[in-house]
Amino acid sequence: MKLKKVVIKIGFTILMLVISFLISLFVVELTEMYSVVPALFTLAVFIIALATRDYIYGIVSSFVSVLALNFAFTFPYFKFNFSIPENLVSGVIMLTITTLSSTLTIKIKQQESLRAETEKEKMRANLLRAVSHDLRTPLTTIYGSSSAIVENKELTKEQVWKLAEGIKVDAQWLMGMVENLLSVTKIDNGNVKLIKTPVVLDELVDSVLLRFRKRYPKQSVEVQLPDEFVIIPMDAVLIEQVLVNLLENAVQHAHGMTELRLKVYEKDDNAVFEIHDNGCGIPKERLANLFTGYFVSEDAPADCQKRNMGIGLSVCASIIKAHDGEITAENKKEGGCVFRFALEMEKDEYE
Amino acid sequence: MSNKFKILVIEDEVNICHFVKTILESNGYQVLDAHSGSVGKMQFLSHCPDLVILDLGLPDMDGNDLIPFMREEGATPIIVLSARSNEKDKVTTLDAGANDYITKPFGTEELLARVRATLRNSRQKMDADGVVRSSYAVNGLLIEYDRRRITVKGEEVKLTQTEYNIVELLASHSGRVLTYTEIINKIWRYADPGSIKKLQVNMANIRKKLGEKPGENQYIANELGVGYRMVQEDD
Repeated sequence: MKLKKVVIKIGFTILMLVISFLISLFVVELTEMYSVVPALFTLAVFIIALATRDYIYGIVSSFVSVLALNFAFTFPYFKFNFSIPENLVSGVIMLTITTLSSTLTIKIKQQESLRAETEKEKMRANLLRAVSHDLRTPLTTIYGSSSAIVENKELTKEQVWKLAEGIKVDAQWLMGMVENLLSVTKIDNGNVKLIKTPVVLDELVDSVLLRFRKRYPKQSVEVQLPDEFVIIPMDAVLIEQVLVNLLENAVQHAHGMTELRLKVYEKDDNAVFEIHDNGCGIPKERLANLFTGYFVSEDAPADCQKRNMGIGLSVCASIIKAHDGEITAENKKEGGCVFRFALEMEKDEYE
Repeated sequence: MSNKFKILVIEDEVNICHFVKTILESNGYQVLDAHSGSVGKMQFLSHCPDLVILDLGLPDMDGNDLIPFMREEGATPIIVLSARSNEKDKVTTLDAGANDYITKPFGTEELLARVRATLRNSRQKMDADGVVRSSYAVNGLLIEYDRRRITVKGEEVKLTQTEYNIVELLASHSGRVLTYTEIINKIWRYADPGSIKKLQVNMANIRKKLGEKPGENQYIANELGVGYRMVQEDD
């Protein structure tokens, strides 16, 4: 892979130099405007530096250009001559210009990656803050209840059962959180490409519903799927996570919801997933950064935050992004809201 | 009491081992525990358990390395405990000869269900030397092996030959995940790049004919990216 890139860059460099040499020859032949030639070569080297984003190509090609200039386009023609000061000076100037321009493009590149890195760092810090905060609440229950059981021998059976029940509920919540975190690290892991496998839509939806029902046995989900046999290449664990998160989000935040619907339909080469609810909708001020921020809002003191406002949706967004898609949320006119994302289907050559 | 099933739990996390043991013992199983692979090996050889529950992350060895050893010794069923791993790891484990896996964290119900299903399957296999089971019945689905006939609530379901073969294969291993590879090898005897898709298409047709809907599959459960599991038979 790396070798291939190097070969391409070298090829590009040579091609650019040859082209500028030929154009120069042509121009000189037609018009005898020798002054254009250094400008042409400088342009070529500039483009090379810009495209290859590597010192070495820029510098080597500027050397080559100086030599070519000296050889073909300065007196005596088609002969190297380093004794004429005019040639030497123009050579040095050109070398300086090209070196500077390649340095500049590389600087820009470094700055770009630096900025991306800072952005990522910031996201990570945000996530960590949100998570550690979110983890504290269930851990308090688990720790508190279990020490109550261990340290108090005279609790009634009923009391022990109540405490244990609390431990179970919060441990389950922690499990969900850990799943989310694992998903994030899977994506965040230094641009590791997702391993996509062809997944049958019906099977995916089936596992999602099973998982969802385990946690919310009372909440029914209406399902609308295309009749065709649909296969979508994806990381199944991650997309399952997205759908479960979205359904869960509706249960927790769409107050007054009576109807929850998972709808999938085909549009061009995409399968479009929609989660509809008819709850309270999303406040406008939230809609803007629903997927980017973790709602550790500044105006509320840290410990009266409602839990789980945080990472679920942003995890969804990054998973979908890693699948080259985008997730959106909007309020519906008739009330409630809809979350939507699309995934590319497998091109079908098999029936 | 000597007529209890003997289960060997090989798990180095003392807390996990303790709660697994508690659950199993309170449900009438006899439990042996080992906190390392080497002790587990010894226990396995000296006690001949009916079932092994094996953690993959052991201090002295990879649990996966124990599976071939136990397989050489006989057909003792193995349930693997694994921290959330990707589908590939699950497939590797199953293809190595484990009978089932449970992903951590897991609850009481899940553990007991798997233990029951696995024990029952291995018993059936042992019986199979003498008596061949002639049918499979669950939730109104009836498979009559000798007539190659499937009915749902009394109504006959018309399956193609391949479809029937798949259902029969899954039913004869009910309660257990069969990996895509396992199924493909047994049904088509060879695998090519399109095999998994072929299997998925067949499965979709089977489901349609059995009248199953996503989220309400009564008979065949999905293990995404791993394989399929037929629901265990009614008692």
